[in-house]
Amino acid sequence: MKDKLKECIAWLNGKGVAYADCRFVRREKESLQVTDSNVDSFSCDLNTGVGIRVLANGAWGFAATAIVTPAELKKTAAKAMQIAKASALTRHEPVKLAEQEVFVDHYRSDCKKDPFAVGTDDKIDLLVRVTDVLKKSKKIKTAEASMIFYKTSKLFVSTEGAEIEQDIIESGGGYYAVAFKAGEAQKRSYPNSFGGDFTTRGYEFIEELKFLDHAERVREEAIALLDAAPCPSKETTIIINAPQMALQVHESCGHPTELDRALGTEISLAGGSFMTVDKLNKLKYGSDIVNITADATTPGGLGTFGYDDEGAKAQRTPLIKKGLFVGYLTSRETAPIINQRSNGTMRADGWNRLPLIRMTNINLEPGDWEIKDLIADTRDGIFFDLNKSWSIDDKRLNFQFGVEAAWEIKNGVLGRMFKNATYTGITPEFWNSCDAVCNKNHWHVWGVPNCGKGEPMQIMHVAHGAAPARFRNIKVGVNK
Amino acid sequence: MIGKEKLFAKLEKVLAQSKADQTEIVFIGSESALTRYANSYIHQNVAENNSRIYFRSVVGKRVGVASTNSLVTDDLKKTLEDSTAIARTQPENPNFPGLPKPAKYKELVTFNESTAGTSPRDRAGIVKKIISRATKKKFTMAGSLSNSTDEIAVLNSLGVRAYQPVTVASVNMIAMSDTSSGYASGTARDITEIDFDNLAARAVAKCDRSQNPKEIKPGEYEVILEPPAIAEMMEWLNYVSFKSKPYQQGTSFLSGKIGKKLTSDQITIYDNGLDDKSLTFPFDFEGVPKKKVYFLDKGIARGVVYDSSAAFKEKTKSTGHALTPDEASGGAMGFNIFMKPGKVKREKLIAGMKKGILVTRFHYLNGYIDPRNSVLTGMTRDGTFLVENGEIVGGLKNLRFTDSFLRAFDSVIAISREVERHDSWWSAVGCMTIPAVHLGSFRFSGKTDF
Repeated sequence: MKDKLKECIAWLNGKGVAYADCRFVRREKESLQVTDSNVDSFSCDLNTGVGIRVLANGAWGFAATAIVTPAELKKTAAKAMQIAKASALTRHEPVKLAEQEVFVDHYRSDCKKDPFAVGTDDKIDLLVRVTDVLKKSKKIKTAEASMIFYKTSKLFVSTEGAEIEQDIIESGGGYYAVAFKAGEAQKRSYPNSFGGDFTTRGYEFIEELKFLDHAERVREEAIALLDAAPCPSKETTIIINAPQMALQVHESCGHPTELDRALGTEISLAGGSFMTVDKLNKLKYGSDIVNITADATTPGGLGTFGYDDEGAKAQRTPLIKKGLFVGYLTSRETAPIINQRSNGTMRADGWNRLPLIRMTNINLEPGDWEIKDLIADTRDGIFFDLNKSWSIDDKRLNFQFGVEAAWEIKNGVLGRMFKNATYTGITPEFWNSCDAVCNKNHWHVWGVPNCGKGEPMQIMHVAHGAAPARFRNIKVGVNK
Repeated sequence: MIGKEKLFAKLEKVLAQSKADQTEIVFIGSESALTRYANSYIHQNVAENNSRIYFRSVVGKRVGVASTNSLVTDDLKKTLEDSTAIARTQPENPNFPGLPKPAKYKELVTFNESTAGTSPRDRAGIVKKIISRATKKKFTMAGSLSNSTDEIAVLNSLGVRAYQPVTVASVNMIAMSDTSSGYASGTARDITEIDFDNLAARAVAKCDRSQNPKEIKPGEYEVILEPPAIAEMMEWLNYVSFKSKPYQQGTSFLSGKIGKKLTSDQITIYDNGLDDKSLTFPFDFEGVPKKKVYFLDKGIARGVVYDSSAAFKEKTKSTGHALTPDEASGGAMGFNIFMKPGKVKREKLIAGMKKGILVTRFHYLNGYIDPRNSVLTGMTRDGTFLVENGEIVGGLKNLRFTDSFLRAFDSVIAISREVERHDSWWSAVGCMTIPAVHLGSFRFSGKTDF
């Protein structure tokens, strides 16, 4: 395959393009889902092809094909050139790329137990046993457990001489139970909602999740939610558990620090960003204890890789330092606008998609608190656990999140459970009200396998290191 | 385009080699292109040639699914063998009813040469004209223009042979000033049916009229929701309540409510893949013909859509709404959602409002807060206006709404007689067909700074 891509690059060089890269991707996927002790779905998928990106006449063109013969690749390269020339019809300034070190390398993610070599029976047996436990009460209407595994091989070749191979394995899974009574339904999940938790590791990650150890609690909490009180409407102190903090970071820091959004090039779908270039190194985004970092090197993170999809090496970049907005996620095209080089966040959802600025592992760095001390230190508040709903405006200011379950905190002790709990805020006001982040004992990198962006839509695998954190004077209980 | 005869000849040969009791092949071949623009220039411009081939093998009541994007015969054979091997490793699924039997399909014209033949230069030319509309007002323009050609086929060992070629063209555009924005969009099987200039003029006019927006206190207001806003609500309700899975899990607002009146009797919502006001398509991804399905009829709960497996659980028949085999565990889903139009001319809706808010569209809706009570939340975007004494008096800063769809749509004052098509992520096989609606009560729960 490398020879075919190099031949294609040589042909494009001969045509005088300013820059081009060819990216071959082969992705295997296996997914299993068990519902109420029956195998509801077991599928495998193989997806292979080549995407060719060309910079000609000062503008971009991209074409991709699933047919990887030399003749088809040349045809696709010619199409990418034709598209670039069409793009140039509306060009203002020619695209300029930041300088970048050229790499010839092979990166492999850490995997102790290849999930594709683990017996199907073992996987199905675990999922069936989990739903057996969840369904032990007649109040549980549905129990569903699932696992997904990916094995991705990439080859990147550019006109600048880059030759980068990457082999990445991803594993993830989780489960939920839906309790039902008198027209009301409530859901509880483990280890996270919407599919569970995901990582760039092997099947050892699934084993470490210890699915069965948590199934009884999940079942009983789903049932308890049916009789729980609705979340009150008021302003109060809140403690947000780590998985929900991961999504809070995702929506209110990860997306608005994508430089392409800040420059307006995502307007047509997901919107812009209030964190505009004039605010860099000036905006007090959060309180002094808020430190958020983009780190594509975090061990096992779902946003961990060796090189991004335009050949930049994985990096660690501060975004928020002691509450100050200090950095963006950038690309070779956007970084020069803020006088920087790319920090390596251009990622494509497969061979058939153009690389875009995407989150890697966007991590809220751990603080000093033990969770038990933080709850004990809270006189009156609410503890929010596991995401249920999410929404944020198109500049990432006004957000509203709902959770599966919440608990009242009274005089430093967790009390009664609340259902359908929500909280809402304005991003910088919210982060400036943060007065505590828990320590590394409570910090975990949560995989988010469903981050949407771009047209055509691209679904990216990203992650967020997060620990429970406390916020003051937050509006809660807005749900109708 | 491969073409029906050549495609079937290839796939029939593979199907004949199956060792499973029953076998299904779903083929989706696609040549698609999209030109994206922002800050009044084209910044992303892509084309893709791809196929998806799904094999579903059935051994007894065991089901295995494998898929590939390679049309190489050996790869197809291997994928078929993989799906059979997966089926053999599983326990029996008592809820699997077997593959559908052959059926007749309505003949529909869903392919258009103009759309299929639209080149990158053609798209760039259209975009240039769209941008020029904004430039005249010193605004910028952002959006995307796409055209695609798909071939969709379903074959199974019981004799199902379904094939349909389709084209779709879609455009969206956001005109932007320093303080405002305005949105318009269009979708059609035939690109020449889209009036790009008129849409650009609409986006620019909305941007112009909403400059220097005023703040309004969140609370309960009369609203006019334009078709894009309602289409976004329908997309979520389709996902959390009109699908078979949430209905059967008990989380849909329709669960246990069939026959009960839930909204104003002016509200009728249904799915109909055969109505040419939508982007029609004759069958689902199991090869079952599409049927018209009412979710709400004059405000009364009527039902949901089904695929074969979901229908088997309910002891009913598939309505022709199966997803692709890899997504089948998510249950059946509507692809051609309609809200029935009313009798009022669209411009008269505004004339009939004493004081209220006109919403062009919503952003980032979510329907998971309390789906049993149909609670949705989201932000207004790209054209929110204050209406007083039957006239638009100016732009408003954007607002968050959090409200029950059932509560809000029990307060319908009027519905426009005109409908608009709005595309969604399943645009090859359907779209939303939606009027504008004047509601007597809609709850805004928060505000933002722009």
